[in-house]
Amino acid sequence: MPSSDPLPPKEGALFRKLLKCYEMKQYKNGLKLAKQILSNPKYAEHGETLAMKGLTLNGLGRREEAYKYVRLGLRRDLRSHVCWHVYGLLQRSDKKYDEAIKCYRNALKWEKDNLQILKDLSLLQIQMRDREGYKETRHHLFTLRPSQHASWIGFAMSYHLLGDYEMANNILETFSQSQTTIEAHDYRHSELLLYQNQILIESSHLQQALDHLLKYEAQIVDKLAVRETMGDLYIKLGQQEKAVPIFESLIRRNPENVLYYQQYMAARRVTTSGAIVSVYREFQEQYPRALCPRRLPLDIAVGDEFREVADEYLRRGLRKGIPPLFVNVRTLHQVPEKTAIIEALTLQYFENLTRSGHFSREDADAEVPLEPASALVWTALFLAQHYDYMRDTDRALEYINAAIDHTPTLIELLITKGRIFKHAGDPVEAYVWLEEAQSMDTADRYINSKCAKYMLRANMVLEAEEICAKFTREGVSAMDNLNEMQCMWFQTECALAYERMGRWGEALKKCHEVDRHFAEIIEDQFDFHTYCMRKMTLRAYVGLLRLEDVLRRHPFYFKAAKCAIEVYIRLYDKPLASETTIEEIDIENLPPSELKKLRSKQRKAKKKAELESAQAAQAQVKREQHQKSKQQANQETDPDAPQLDELIPEKLERTDEPLEKAIDFLKPLQELAKERIETHLLAFEVYYRKNKLLLMLQSIRRARALDASHPVLHSCIIRFMKALESAKQEQPFNVHVQQVLDKATKELIGKKTPQQLNDEFIAKYHTTSILHLYEAARGLYELDASKKQAAIKLITDFNLSKLRLEEATKIYTALRDGDVFGDCEKEAEQYKLKCQERFQYARIFRNIEELEAQLQEKEAAKLRAEEEQQQLNHLDSNETSASVVGGGEPASVAAAS
Amino acid sequence: MAETEPEVEVNGEAEGEAEDDSQEQDKKQKKQTRHDGGAADLERVTDYAEEKEISAANISSAVEQFGNQRDKENSLRVAREKELQKVQVKKEDIELIMNELLVSKTLAEKVLREQSGDVVAALEAIISN
Repeated sequence: MPSSDPLPPKEGALFRKLLKCYEMKQYKNGLKLAKQILSNPKYAEHGETLAMKGLTLNGLGRREEAYKYVRLGLRRDLRSHVCWHVYGLLQRSDKKYDEAIKCYRNALKWEKDNLQILKDLSLLQIQMRDREGYKETRHHLFTLRPSQHASWIGFAMSYHLLGDYEMANNILETFSQSQTTIEAHDYRHSELLLYQNQILIESSHLQQALDHLLKYEAQIVDKLAVRETMGDLYIKLGQQEKAVPIFESLIRRNPENVLYYQQYMAARRVTTSGAIVSVYREFQEQYPRALCPRRLPLDIAVGDEFREVADEYLRRGLRKGIPPLFVNVRTLHQVPEKTAIIEALTLQYFENLTRSGHFSREDADAEVPLEPASALVWTALFLAQHYDYMRDTDRALEYINAAIDHTPTLIELLITKGRIFKHAGDPVEAYVWLEEAQSMDTADRYINSKCAKYMLRANMVLEAEEICAKFTREGVSAMDNLNEMQCMWFQTECALAYERMGRWGEALKKCHEVDRHFAEIIEDQFDFHTYCMRKMTLRAYVGLLRLEDVLRRHPFYFKAAKCAIEVYIRLYDKPLASETTIEEIDIENLPPSELKKLRSKQRKAKKKAELESAQAAQAQVKREQHQKSKQQANQETDPDAPQLDELIPEKLERTDEPLEKAIDFLKPLQELAKERIETHLLAFEVYYRKNKLLLMLQSIRRARALDASHPVLHSCIIRFMKALESAKQEQPFNVHVQQVLDKATKELIGKKTPQQLNDEFIAKYHTTSILHLYEAARGLYELDASKKQAAIKLITDFNLSKLRLEEATKIYTALRDGDVFGDCEKEAEQYKLKCQERFQYARIFRNIEELEAQLQEKEAAKLRAEEEQQQLNHLDSNETSASVVGGGEPASVAAAS
Repeated sequence: MAETEPEVEVNGEAEGEAEDDSQEQDKKQKKQTRHDGGAADLERVTDYAEEKEISAANISSAVEQFGNQRDKENSLRVAREKELQKVQVKKEDIELIMNELLVSKTLAEKVLREQSGDVVAALEAIISN
């Protein structure tokens, strides 16, 4: 490497040592070396040394100094590839990948064949998924160093990632032929062979893949992968008979792998349900302890055969007392016939167990030994879960209470009771039961987390945090620790709780935190670009890259993003007043009753505000502490972590551009969660508010392609038509846009008017689907505000007994909040009373006063209990202090004497 | 590149330091074992490693062959791009697409070129995918 500003031999040697030290992460040594060079007055301003000093400082976490020295060095020597390279590395460690790429390119301008720079560039390109650029760089590296392993692998991989399997395979084939000596048990070589095989399979060259596998079988150390792949290939190539023994041996190896059984069936070409079940029976005998051969036939069998296998399976589970038995068979409930059989069977068990202690009358007649006493409890639990699933709250409670009476200490029972209340719409009662369950085993993290989740469902964020604190690291606030640990279910539930409470900023903060976790996970792949290539774990590496590509498809992201988008939309519809201005209401002109209401409201608000400000102050203190501890931690452990802006709820909820922020969350969903209709419905809501007709159309079309009969889609179409109409009146469209719109609307609804469309929709769903009818009623009101009463009547007249709780809640909240049909307090109140009868447990339909009284009663009880406890403690401590005094006497006597 | 015998004065100091470093690392590791068992392993992920070399006689022909292949690909791509660049596009059309569909300029221009400059077709292409 010729330098633009060469050092004499002595300093040159020092400089090379400095580079070496950096590579070996001996930063302190490196600094000393840099100092030695710079202390020579002739080279005090040597650019490359200054730059390396900066980079070394960065390694020690002294970021600001690092930037200072690197920039200084660069300025001294702008024609040095070393300085540019170093600047690029620094930017890279700061996650500024675009900038880093620019620096590398500058460096390559001065030294176009520098291996290290090219390698670093390729890492950034793959991280940014510039696949074409990656290929170019990899090719360059390959031509420079064809003798290195890594050159070949990276070169092949670049083609593989572009989908050019042929070329990727060619490269690997040539490479493996030029390799002469292969040691036995060479893991890397083995992985490489499997990687090549994967490429062959992905390019659908199945026969070639099979031949390849057979040829190299002896050299591959991952025997399991060989067997699995080979068996799969035999099936796909129509040589099933050869696959049978392979899957037989795989099942022997692991009789709990569902996939093996499926492939075994495919290999044996058994297709009828009866035949499959009898094959499973054989396996049951062969592997009596395995669960799979017992559970899987339940999915396949029908009719009497199902009754038979289900009977065996359920009895076994209830006899042994397997707690998740119901969860294990829950998927069968999707088939009504199977649900009925399961219900009949378990009811029969319950009846007979109560009477004689047997599962059935036949057993009793045959005088087989009695079932264990616990079987009755587990059966009752199962029935409770079953009826809960069917949303038959009363019967579910009946069975769970019977079970709790029988065994009050079984935690599962309490959890189930809580869950029944949750499903019945009473999150508060639900959490009370979970808390009880939690208190019975405080060392169980599962129940601890469940309890926290139920508390969040009851909007009790602080309590939930407290519960979680039992398991988070000491000395840090639980909330911060859960964030650090990327505990996303907790954060998402928090966000949803805040959303329900109308604390928009807090909700957004949690959503952004989840989003940041995903960003971090994507960042984290960086190190694997070098590591996986080196260790040759290429199959896993490609798997990782593909996972990261679609990372935000994950349900955790979807949930948080949906919450964020909804909150931002709500903030757009009803922006918050700025923090300083407080609404002035004209008190003079209010009637006394209103005034009273207002006063009490104000009082409550004041109280709440005081509480909140106290909490905020506390939070501030905590934040400062945390910041301090984080800074300390940063200095020690992670100098790489980029400094992100702090998320401040008050600022988040007062953004100037809520819709743009919503789009930030929406984009990944549109890209990666296309298959979920909610994505496009959310997109419509955003674009509707941005008044972008073509984009509304896009969302409608995408949603329609997924499910043309989705209820919300109807409302989207009606609102789109309305927006189209009013936009036309405002100003004529651009001709091109007009053309597209005309064609698309014709496709969408033909020549019908929105009114016609809506009327047809009402007629179609009048008595069958409340959700559709609700959207139709919205349309009715939207198109003609004078039809408000008709619209409300349409939905409130719908047969309530056909409604599910979620549906009734949706209708009621729409009426109550007045967003959808304008103000309709009276109708809402009436509807609430009707719902109260139908859903007696649901909290939302009960009266606030009643609930508050109940809550106060509970709190009072709690206080009393605490007081009693304190008194007891007091007594205890009196006793102990008395004994201390008693025991202390000799000492004082001794002291006196 | 490991140098064993450089200038004497440096060597003494460096070795002392190296020991310091390793001692410090020991301490660090001890601290870490309590909470983060895997942290030390993770740290090693970013370690520096020497490259392995292969010696093969017939790779030069392969290099040439792959080089030719790449040149072919590149010329194909360049030709495709040239073809696209030939398409006449209006600036106002690009802006219309950007504004109506909230897409980047690059994407708007690309789609417009692919649709041979037909703005209606371009708009439809974007909303119906």
